[in-house]
Amino acid sequence: TSSVLSTKKDESTASKDSTTEVASKSQESTAETPKQKLLDIIGNMKVEVSYRKKLQQLKTREIKKQATNKLEGPDSKGSMLQKTTEDTQRGKPLSPELVEAASAVASFLPLNKKQTESELIAQLRRHEETTDKQKKGGTINIRNVISEMAVKRQSPAQRGVRISNRISLELDEDGQRIKPERLSPQSFDSKRSLKVGRRLNIFTKASTGTENALKTVSSPTIWDLEFAKEIAAITAQPPRNGFEEMIQWTKEGILWEFPIDNEAGMEDDAEFHEHIFLEKHLEDFPKQGPIRHFMELVICGLSKNPYLSVKQKIEHIEWFQKYFEEKKELLQEI
Amino acid sequence: MAASVLGWALRAARQVVSSPCTRQARSYYVDWRMLRDVKRRKLAYEYADERLRINAIRKNTILPKELQEVADKEIADLPRDSCPVRIRNRCVLTSRPRGVKRRWRLSRIVFRHFADHAQMSGIQRAMW
Repeated sequence: TSSVLSTKKDESTASKDSTTEVASKSQESTAETPKQKLLDIIGNMKVEVSYRKKLQQLKTREIKKQATNKLEGPDSKGSMLQKTTEDTQRGKPLSPELVEAASAVASFLPLNKKQTESELIAQLRRHEETTDKQKKGGTINIRNVISEMAVKRQSPAQRGVRISNRISLELDEDGQRIKPERLSPQSFDSKRSLKVGRRLNIFTKASTGTENALKTVSSPTIWDLEFAKEIAAITAQPPRNGFEEMIQWTKEGILWEFPIDNEAGMEDDAEFHEHIFLEKHLEDFPKQGPIRHFMELVICGLSKNPYLSVKQKIEHIEWFQKYFEEKKELLQEI
Repeated sequence: MAASVLGWALRAARQVVSSPCTRQARSYYVDWRMLRDVKRRKLAYEYADERLRINAIRKNTILPKELQEVADKEIADLPRDSCPVRIRNRCVLTSRPRGVKRRWRLSRIVFRHFADHAQMSGIQRAMW
């Protein structure tokens, strides 16, 4: 085969006029199998650093090395090319030497030469673009991303602890499982804060959604309400089982919500001292006399009453105040 | 805008509309006595606070007696149906004034009827 390859070499040197380093390289690589030849070319021309392409190419290289059948080799190479190449048109023209190298490579492949040539040229174009992009500094540099990360190691003892944390069978007094206290998102082993570090520019800032200004909505017309009722009546399917029936009842208010909340519907935001120390509401009353005595008893009773809200208690006291003011003349006669 | 309004109305309607399963639809009270009883209960609820406060003034040893007499007159002026004493616990289904079990608000006959048809939850014929 060496003689055959050497003749091919001569032919290629004869055909081309300008031999550049790339062309010579391509010719040198023709000494190797066509499989590895393409690998070298692409390895030399590769400029981009993106991780996904790296992975892909690594994978394909492994596949190539494992494949023993020569027929499979070039086929998969062509398929790999198809994977990695794009069909978009680039505006920038490639250097003619690269084009010639691509054509030389294509000519040595047993596959459809024109197709592989076009694919290789597209690949080259993409490389050019990425080099330009990198020069401008626009691509995502994977190094910046990985520099901040650190490999987290889990000792087997810690792993066992974590698994056992998930399966906690301890029961609280109420009969609920004790959840292992969740670590705050900040307390990691590496002690990194969220706001330190260079900006990675991976995510684009979401444009703040234009909030619909509060449009003056006229009250829904009768037709709207009827329509809504109709839709609700049609879409409300009868419950398929007991659970759905109970859900419906809970929504309607027939069934309480479980576990039963003793303070359901009761929204008393007042503290205990507002319930008990009600003397401050007695400022308008005379400080001596039977009325004061009476009101102090009233307050004592109210402070022990757990069923009334603070508002109701204040209303109670104010009613008495009004009543006694109306009866002032009568009281002064006495 | 119309869509949002419609959505709000839809949500409201969905909560109101009950399931298609039928229940007893009663649009009238059983008889006039039941109606009067209902009116008495409503009034008693409205005047409950006032009655309580005026009674607190009346049943007192601290305040002067003149004040208590005035309070007596005031409470007598309130509508007659506002006093809770006039409420009668009638049977809810038949308006029977006597033989009504308080827990179920049903008269003994209706209670027995439902219990025999196994429509009273947790009720069983006693046997010991």
